[in-house]
Amino acid sequence: MATVTKKSRFEKTLVTILLIIGGIIVSIPFLWMISSSFKPESEVLNIPPTIIPENFTLENYVNLFESLNFAVYLRNTLIIVVFSFVGLLFNAMAGYGFAKFDFRGKEKVFYFVLATMMIPGQVTMIPVYLLLNEMGLTNTMAGIVLPGLAVAFSIFLFRQFMTTIPTDLIEAARLDGAGEFYIFFRLIMPVAKPIFAVQGILTFIAAWNSFLWPLIIANDEGLYTLSVGLSLLQGQYANNFALQMAGAAFMVVPIIIIFSFFQKYIVEGFTMSGIK
Amino acid sequence: MSKIFKQAYRERHPYFFIAPAVILLTVFSIIPILIAFFISFTDLDLKGLADWSNINFIGIENYRELVSDETFTTSLINTAFYVVIGVPLVIISSLTIALLLNYGSNMLFRVFRSVYYMPSITNIIAVAVIWGYLYNTEYGLFNYLLSIINVDNIPWLEERTIAKISLIILAVWKGIGINMIIFLAALQGIPRAYYEAAEIDGANRFQVLFKVTLPLLSYATFFVTVTTLIGWMQFFEEPFVMTDGGPLDGTISIALFIYKEGFQYSQFGYAAAGSFVLFILIIIMTLIQFKFKKSETQY
Amino acid sequence: MKKTKKIALASVMTMSMFLGACGGSDDASGDDDKTISVWAMGEEGKQLKELAEKFEEENEDDIKVEVQAIPWESAHDKLLTAVASQDGPDVFQLGTTWVPEFAEAGAMLDLSEHTDDYPEFEPDNYFEGARETMQYDGQQIGIPWYVESRVLYYREDLLEEVGYDEAPATWDELKDASSQLADRSEDDYGLDIDQNDQITPFIFAWQNGYEVSEEEAENGDFNFDGEEFVGAIEYYHSFFDEGISQTSEGEDITKAFEKGTKPMFFSGPWMISVLNDQAPDIEGQWGTAVMPEQEKGTSSIGGANFSIFHNTEKVDESLEFLSYINETETQLEWLEMSNTLPSRTEAWEDPLLQDDPMYATFGRQLEDAQPGPQIEEWDQLTQELLDSIERINVGGADVEEEMANFNEKAEGLLAE
Repeated sequence: MATVTKKSRFEKTLVTILLIIGGIIVSIPFLWMISSSFKPESEVLNIPPTIIPENFTLENYVNLFESLNFAVYLRNTLIIVVFSFVGLLFNAMAGYGFAKFDFRGKEKVFYFVLATMMIPGQVTMIPVYLLLNEMGLTNTMAGIVLPGLAVAFSIFLFRQFMTTIPTDLIEAARLDGAGEFYIFFRLIMPVAKPIFAVQGILTFIAAWNSFLWPLIIANDEGLYTLSVGLSLLQGQYANNFALQMAGAAFMVVPIIIIFSFFQKYIVEGFTMSGIK
Repeated sequence: MSKIFKQAYRERHPYFFIAPAVILLTVFSIIPILIAFFISFTDLDLKGLADWSNINFIGIENYRELVSDETFTTSLINTAFYVVIGVPLVIISSLTIALLLNYGSNMLFRVFRSVYYMPSITNIIAVAVIWGYLYNTEYGLFNYLLSIINVDNIPWLEERTIAKISLIILAVWKGIGINMIIFLAALQGIPRAYYEAAEIDGANRFQVLFKVTLPLLSYATFFVTVTTLIGWMQFFEEPFVMTDGGPLDGTISIALFIYKEGFQYSQFGYAAAGSFVLFILIIIMTLIQFKFKKSETQY
Repeated sequence: MKKTKKIALASVMTMSMFLGACGGSDDASGDDDKTISVWAMGEEGKQLKELAEKFEEENEDDIKVEVQAIPWESAHDKLLTAVASQDGPDVFQLGTTWVPEFAEAGAMLDLSEHTDDYPEFEPDNYFEGARETMQYDGQQIGIPWYVESRVLYYREDLLEEVGYDEAPATWDELKDASSQLADRSEDDYGLDIDQNDQITPFIFAWQNGYEVSEEEAENGDFNFDGEEFVGAIEYYHSFFDEGISQTSEGEDITKAFEKGTKPMFFSGPWMISVLNDQAPDIEGQWGTAVMPEQEKGTSSIGGANFSIFHNTEKVDESLEFLSYINETETQLEWLEMSNTLPSRTEAWEDPLLQDDPMYATFGRQLEDAQPGPQIEEWDQLTQELLDSIERINVGGADVEEEMANFNEKAEGLLAE
């Protein structure tokens, strides 16, 4: 897996040290977030902040589960996650279409796709809501899921990476008589594993944290997601930081698990060194 | 097979591939954008939302007002500041970290991949609290460390230019993660044969980096540059949670300006006009990059 | 103008109709005729469910209530979309500063004609300051649910050290006490003023004799460059100028109050439980007091109202619920559940509120409390004001000049 085969011990130590120093600096807020979730409220805002809780408590987590309608929120969140992976497939297909085919209007359509990335999200919120309302999709899971399925960022990313896949590979498969969808699922997807892994992480995080649409579309708490449930903990005036940190920490654990799972595929990388 | 038939056959598939995503984007992005574009020529506010008969078409009045709005001008300048400094910084740091992380693949390096990804998944409230502490003028860690080496207190968030820089540092910290994994994925995509060939030719470390690795990363770099630029032009979350645009509008960005006008003050028409200005600016910047990219690959 | 309406309608409608064909429009989520939906914010929304259950048991008409809790940070967005689609709840909670905006948009049902049938809706039941938020353009558009006011929180022990056995009662005393406290050491301050708080400058101004009628406010005739308002801002500014209040973002107020570095501050009733929970070490050493007086000792009144969505089909059921929620007894129950203060004056005769010294302060203050100007543009107006104050406190701008500018901006804002 080495990018450069000969490495001096000195160089490796240097890189490691750099990474460790950077890593510590970068992860302090994260560690603080985790540790605060085990602190009583009176300790959270201490200055200077403590990384290790002085008075360790599990109370925040107990409160969290008592005040969350956990099973329902989790179920909704997972439904959104599943659908967003369907969206991921659509995005991958579109990325592939833009990368490896020539067709009329390709550039124009692609620029349209890109353009959707450029408008600040808040501006389209009300129009999208009105459209969904007209379609009778408010207060339904479909209304929550549909607007987020296609993501320009994701299509663009797939396109960029699939462009680097050698066209010869596809042509060869076509000559062998393989169908286009067969090529996509059997040839392209395995080759594009690293980028699917990246997208898998991003898609999961976005779906896991989905907040605004579930809230706006739902007229019934039966459609709330975990993030919406957690944000109910915030007061108008006074905030309970420790409780919120417990919620945030709880939300992050699955992300880390998913991250370590997918990053395996990022690291595996291209196994076909045969292509030129 | 006749030529025409062949072409038709050829052209059938790409549409299948792009159709689902493109249709969804059309319904949930393009049409809403068109509606928003229309709104930008009206005085739509909450009253108008409740009853469409309260909406008045006011032509380019919103745009005219924007031009003379000092806060908007300030937000334009601030956004330019964020983009010019922030974008190169994010790209260079995430590329550097990706290169370092790609150096090895043992346990330690795998753990660090997660560590460097952490900032981008840290809860925004935690970010605000802890960075608020780091930047606190009197009690903050940064100023404490500086006082050890006899440097005076720096008003991290209380002086207009310094506050902008402070927010950039925070945003870079938060933005590294996602770009880093994109670069990592791209680095993994480089076939080993290239390195082997370079080595046989006796290239040294830097030659390999500049002649092999970086050129082969150009697709990823282009992607990261385009999306990072778009992201930074819509710079929002950091000033929103840290300074709310202050001190004295020193950190207000265009996106924050739009948010305030639209969702705090319910001036949807005006906010839509603001976002179209931003939209146009982003399109121009993106087109420039695509032009640049084309001329580059054609050499 | 007519033409534009048509264009607006046509463009939105064609798109909607085109899309509308794809789905049925069955919005009523299968509930029977006697179920009303209620939107309430944050933690209160969750607690309201308990109260709603009681209501379900007690009411004779078998009315069911479905409470939906909405996070505070997104409540405004959520209400906007409800107004836009005309598909809202039956009953909803609304922060008092949002009332004019949504009233102007016609989101609330006029309750005036029902007042005879429901004695609980009688405005005289509520604090004078809260009554203003019930009315808009001669309509009765909401019922105050709970109220809040700002009072002075102070450290009894530290004030005693500088010779005050009781809380400062006048502007002069406040200034004297706080400057002595600020002189204790370099790290100490005398009084904490939240520079981001929208209402505090108005509180000072009212105390200084500033008044603005509803009519004047609607015409943008605020007189912010008048003597009373400018005088109040000068007084406000002097605390920052003399180092009595901290200009920069310092330590969290709860911590600073506990340590004693900021021994006084203005805040609302929620701080009672925050201090009890987060600063247990100073229990018994702090107290609350009504606002120090200049001309008057006025404070602000805020809180939340309940309103009925204008196009609800379940008017009677909604009225029943609203009436139940605002019975004195229910309000007292709610006080125990949520620690928010009852809006009905009658509730304050209860020993629960009379005997608790902390609550009693609020009871007294609420009798001399008023809401901010009831205008749609409240958020924009106060943002401009806070910007001006920032220019004075941090940027060193001249108070009189800045207030003249602000007055002009306010006029422009209302003229739009």
